[in-house]
Amino acid sequence: MNRTLKILSVAILLVPGVLFGISWAQYRVGGWLAESCPVFHTQLQLCDTGGTSLAWVSALLFHMLLFVMVLATLLTVAERKWSAFTQDRIGPERARIGPAWMRKHSFGGLPHVAADALKMIFKENTRPKAADRDRILFWLGPVLAFAPVFALAAVIPFGPTVPVNGYAISAQVANPNFGLLYVLAIASLAVYGTSLAGWASNSKFALLGGVRAASQMISYEVALGLSLVGMMVAFSTVQLPVLIGSAAAGTGQAQYLWQGSVLGLDFGVPAWGIFLQPLGFLLFFTAAFAETKRAPFDVPEGESEIIGYFLEYSGMKFGTFMISEFIEVVVLSALITAIFLGGWHLGFAGDVALAQGLGKSHPVLYGAFCGAVFAMKVVFLCWFQLIVRWTFPRFRYDQIMTLGWKVLLPLGLFNLFASAALVLLDPSLHWLAVAGLLEIAVLAGLTLTRKAPKSGSGHEAAGHGTPDVHALPAAAASAHH
Amino acid sequence: MADAKDTVPQQAEEGELEAHLHTKRMLINMGPSHPAMHGTVRTRVELEGETIVRAIPEIGFLHRGFQKSCENVTWNQCLPYTDRLNYVSALMNNFGFLKAVEMLCGITIPERAQYIRVIASELHRIHDHLTCVGSIGLELGGFAPFLYAIEGRELIMDRVTELTGARLTTSFGRVGGLNRDVPEGWAERVLKTLDKCHELIGEMDTLLTANRIFVDRMQGVGVITTEDALDFGFTGPCLRACGVPYDVRKARPYWVYERMAFDVPVGKNGDNFDRYLMRMEELKQSEAIVRQGLKDIPPGPVIVDDWRIALPPKSEVYGTIEGVIAHFKLVMEGVPVPAGEVYDSSEAANGELGWYLVSDGSGRPYKVHVRAPGFALLSGLPRMVEGRMLADLIPTFDTINMIGGEVEQ
Repeated sequence: MNRTLKILSVAILLVPGVLFGISWAQYRVGGWLAESCPVFHTQLQLCDTGGTSLAWVSALLFHMLLFVMVLATLLTVAERKWSAFTQDRIGPERARIGPAWMRKHSFGGLPHVAADALKMIFKENTRPKAADRDRILFWLGPVLAFAPVFALAAVIPFGPTVPVNGYAISAQVANPNFGLLYVLAIASLAVYGTSLAGWASNSKFALLGGVRAASQMISYEVALGLSLVGMMVAFSTVQLPVLIGSAAAGTGQAQYLWQGSVLGLDFGVPAWGIFLQPLGFLLFFTAAFAETKRAPFDVPEGESEIIGYFLEYSGMKFGTFMISEFIEVVVLSALITAIFLGGWHLGFAGDVALAQGLGKSHPVLYGAFCGAVFAMKVVFLCWFQLIVRWTFPRFRYDQIMTLGWKVLLPLGLFNLFASAALVLLDPSLHWLAVAGLLEIAVLAGLTLTRKAPKSGSGHEAAGHGTPDVHALPAAAASAHH
Repeated sequence: MADAKDTVPQQAEEGELEAHLHTKRMLINMGPSHPAMHGTVRTRVELEGETIVRAIPEIGFLHRGFQKSCENVTWNQCLPYTDRLNYVSALMNNFGFLKAVEMLCGITIPERAQYIRVIASELHRIHDHLTCVGSIGLELGGFAPFLYAIEGRELIMDRVTELTGARLTTSFGRVGGLNRDVPEGWAERVLKTLDKCHELIGEMDTLLTANRIFVDRMQGVGVITTEDALDFGFTGPCLRACGVPYDVRKARPYWVYERMAFDVPVGKNGDNFDRYLMRMEELKQSEAIVRQGLKDIPPGPVIVDDWRIALPPKSEVYGTIEGVIAHFKLVMEGVPVPAGEVYDSSEAANGELGWYLVSDGSGRPYKVHVRAPGFALLSGLPRMVEGRMLADLIPTFDTINMIGGEVEQ
């Protein structure tokens, strides 16, 4: 227990610091890039990158390659470590590297990242003979599973746009004016990877997995898109930075619905998506979970039934499937943060004060602070997904379809019409928020009032001391010697 | 294209010209190497989409010639073979076999031995049910309950090791009683183990029994009617889940089961969920039996005092000629079981474990046949899963808890 506390306290100090550093470095490098390569100043017309030039490269480097990739890699260990906690085990700790003094410590299982990567890379890359016919598709499977998921991170703003060296530097690779539509479009491409893998493997189990994956992902695509429309309606935008808004200007999710002020600090209920659209949030979270194909939606994998669509893959090809699953977890957490959890804003207190104080005097520090807040929310959501994944058993294929089409879709439609009507009635979003808070109260009430435990679907116990021979099966009775 | 069109008869309906997709059923092999087909059994499954049209369980991958092997050794030497029938609850196989042999001999074992047999049997019933329930959780995607079950199972294995000297293949007991008494302090450790198991079972209960996803996947799945279950020869928890309160411990009480206060849970739906609930309830009942047994166990000998059946004490073997001769004859020739035949059964973890023994009066069995509960259960599997989805095969296969070792003799 003591050791756990020690590790936790170190993590609580270290993690925000590292996240702050990443964000700070990104703004600095972005500023330097914008200054040193002004030739590209007007090159990117399609995407409004905040008026800067090559600064998007810094976002690509620091947020997509560093933050998303490294977090996804660390999640492979975090998942094992956290599942070990829930299951009363120690978890991975056997991989030891370095000089003797380092070998004495397990470092929370972190060296397993290296061990796993080495194992994946150096394992024999086999291809079943039956897959020779479709060797290009076989090769394309993992690529198509990985690429769209990773590309999703391009439109996610990992921090506010702040002025550095006279240039507006955003923490986003691209800010196209079709923001969320890009997310929906690219997310649906990921289904090709899994279904191609299932098809090209030319194995019955893999094919079943591929078919399951395709139908599941296509079904939940609908709910995924529908759950976001409410937020688009509320803020009349599909661009993520606009959706998150700015605390200084009081726009987007940064605005307060009900505001007070104590000692110069601002307090209030922010217009976060989770308050305006709790139903939309739940739907999106469920659908996003189904998109990641993790338990309880791991039907395409179903390792105890059909092993999964990647059955025939080995080495780094399998590793690509695995890592793309974790990247999807990170990216969807980031999306939920941006759309429903107020992005990089603290939320309940001090946002406006911070934006007007630190934001004016030290914009880069303010940006880095916001970046760290955003990243912490992402880490929290990733952890939350781990908990869910290790708590629930798996659905059955038809139950997943029923949930997707008969529950999520009608709920999504209802949510859309109801919120659209409420926004139409009251554009200041207060009615929508009241409805949302009511929804939260009802959901909390339903969750907390636990139904009386079922008395075992009517099983009664035969009283003790009464040998029940009257119901003895005839065969068994006569067999008695 | 135009030419092709001309050759078509004028009256052709549109539907006739459509090239229908050629569909065929998919035949897949679940096992013998499959994560869910534990016990090395193969199920050939014919699928239409994801619906099972036909399921044919195939056994034979674990065949070791149990019955024939027994004919070549003395009665006591059969014990290691019986371990390997249901290797999850080996003690119940040991004792079941010994009980049948003792019936053939017409002897009653000392009371203390009876108590120890009951206690050890119920410990292994907990062991077996924990394994079953845990693996149901595991194969439905819930890894945590499985590990809770394994933790409890491991503790019981430790206690069994202290008692018998082996974790899995116990070979405990001899004709006429037991080969050794319980070690010192064992009872206290068993009680502590039961406390821990109780806690773990409670955790599993909250994780599974009230879990909507779990209930949805278990309820109404793998249903078998009472008539079918009786026709297939179901016994044990699977039969009781169909509403038949048949338990050998109550129907024909043996050893000291009559003195124990315990209930036999009975279900009514005959589905996976009821079979699961039966096991959860039996875990509690078995715990109660072990506690009572440990409380009431009398002192005394653990094996009959008859040198033709039990080994003489070592001092006699080394000190007297009678002892040496008795020891020699017992080891070389075996227990002189009188000629005759017997059917005897006991309630094993998965149902009625029956033994049909024939003796020709020599020290070795003339014939040993075992009525393994798992065999009947496995033969009923197709009836339970046909027409259901492929994913339903897994929990159904788990809840019947077929053990490869006893099915194949």
